[in-house]
Amino acid sequence: MNIRSLRLAFCSIAVAGIVTALALTGDAQTQRPFTPARLSDGKTPDFRGIWQVRDTAYINIEGHPAEKGIAAARSIIIDTPDGKIPYKPQSLAQRQENYKNRATADPSIKCYQAGVPRATYLPTPLQILQSPGNFAIVYQDNHAFRVFHPDTRPHFDSADWWMGDTRYRWEGDTLVADVVALTDQLWLDQAGNFHSTDIHIVERYRMTGADTMDYEARIEDPVVYSKPWTLRTVLYRIKEPSARIIEDECLEDANGVRHHISPDDPKNLLKSDYSRWKKPTQK
Amino acid sequence: MKRVSTLHCFGLATALCVFLSAGGSAPIAAQATRTSSNAPGATVPRLPGGRPDFQGLWLKSAGGFQGLFIGSLDGTNLAAGGARGGGTRGGPAPSRYEYTPEAEAEKMDRMRRGYEDPEARCHLPGVPRALDQPGGLYPIQIIQDEKYVALLHEAMHDVRIIPTDNSRHPRNYWAWDGDSRGHWEGDTFVVDVSNFNGRTWLDMAGNFVDENEQVVERFTLTDADTILYEATITDPTVFVKPVEMRFTLKRVPAEQQILEYSCLEGERSLQHYTEEDGGKKLRTK
Repeated sequence: MNIRSLRLAFCSIAVAGIVTALALTGDAQTQRPFTPARLSDGKTPDFRGIWQVRDTAYINIEGHPAEKGIAAARSIIIDTPDGKIPYKPQSLAQRQENYKNRATADPSIKCYQAGVPRATYLPTPLQILQSPGNFAIVYQDNHAFRVFHPDTRPHFDSADWWMGDTRYRWEGDTLVADVVALTDQLWLDQAGNFHSTDIHIVERYRMTGADTMDYEARIEDPVVYSKPWTLRTVLYRIKEPSARIIEDECLEDANGVRHHISPDDPKNLLKSDYSRWKKPTQK
Repeated sequence: MKRVSTLHCFGLATALCVFLSAGGSAPIAAQATRTSSNAPGATVPRLPGGRPDFQGLWLKSAGGFQGLFIGSLDGTNLAAGGARGGGTRGGPAPSRYEYTPEAEAEKMDRMRRGYEDPEARCHLPGVPRALDQPGGLYPIQIIQDEKYVALLHEAMHDVRIIPTDNSRHPRNYWAWDGDSRGHWEGDTFVVDVSNFNGRTWLDMAGNFVDENEQVVERFTLTDADTILYEATITDPTVFVKPVEMRFTLKRVPAEQQILEYSCLEGERSLQHYTEEDGGKKLRTK
């Protein structure tokens, strides 16, 4: 063994040591999980509140370059080597086609409900409603909501829904939700990433602090993807005391195109004028 | 021969939206403690803090003002009890709403333009129409804690999260569902609704309110499986006196579940409108 190979071996050991140390740090963090507050039953973890992501995965979950007003972002896909969705070849071609036509083809432009998991990482808040035995998420975007049903009963999957059919259980302090029956008209982001009606999602919601929640979605769809893949993002609690989910409705313009309109926009207020019905006064 | 000017055909969508049994017989976990008595003054389910517990799945059983309306120009509801039912013979149905003269003319005009009903375009129904949906069709899921009562409506996937923290209506906020603030009067949940955007129709028949609408709703559990719903609608520029509405919501058995009413998403009503009624024309212009 010459000096060079010794040095190489030493370097390898050092690198391995650093990697191990990093891995241990990561383990140490996951070994001390946050214990969330409890609901009135003293048992159920309390996830109530208004939450929102801070990333820009809604543009492209595979990551995207900087745009005007939006910083570049990395992929939120955690278990493929390149951070890309493992599309089958013909599906990838469909995604590229979607991407080309995204300015008009994105279903969210028509003010449709966003679906799962897209509704989670929209740039608008969601509110978790909860009481012992009840769990629901209300998304501000297009006033979509999902009622989570306990997984003691089978899925209702004989139709395709925009927000799917959700069954859940608790694994310790993690809420694990099983989602099926999503329509294939949905996109996963603004970049045309998509799925078929065979999509099956396992979501994991886990609080990592009083005001942070890990969100993970494992997605499988044998029609479109060559293997299952997982995305992960973080929801942050909106702490402003007066924060509320506000009404998000779309108005149709003269061209039949719908636009989101804010309830604090005076254009949303239609003042009635009945003067055309007043009989002319006789003189 | 009368021309049927309005036919609100939600039929295709409705077929998917009527709630169904989810199958299976295992009970939903941890339903609120319930009593089975139906006697007047019966004990009602309560939350740990003592407030009545409205949680569960509910359905308007009967009553209310809105049924299916298939109208003709004279106001006859062709859908109510036979071809000429629902009104006096040969004349318009008696109105439950007493309009000012100008608003009455507006109402008649809207009745002829039933295709402009915002709900036919999948807009939020407003209050009290969110609850006064045609009887027996669309359930409402209620989730409640010490800070709010949330109404999740199957119809139009409408949501109202009503705070009970004595907060006030916001300024500069105008919404289809207005802004709801709740408080308790004994065991009755009272909701004050304001800040409407003036676009709401009360039904398919052209009855309407404008931006001056105010609603006071009262929810009372009369037994474990019945909510008495009362609403008082005032609107000084539309009605000469307040409109009182009252009906009951009945509890839906726990083995059933709320389903998704995706209206806009897959909406098929517009294809039934002729071009002159604003159907295709708006889409292609």
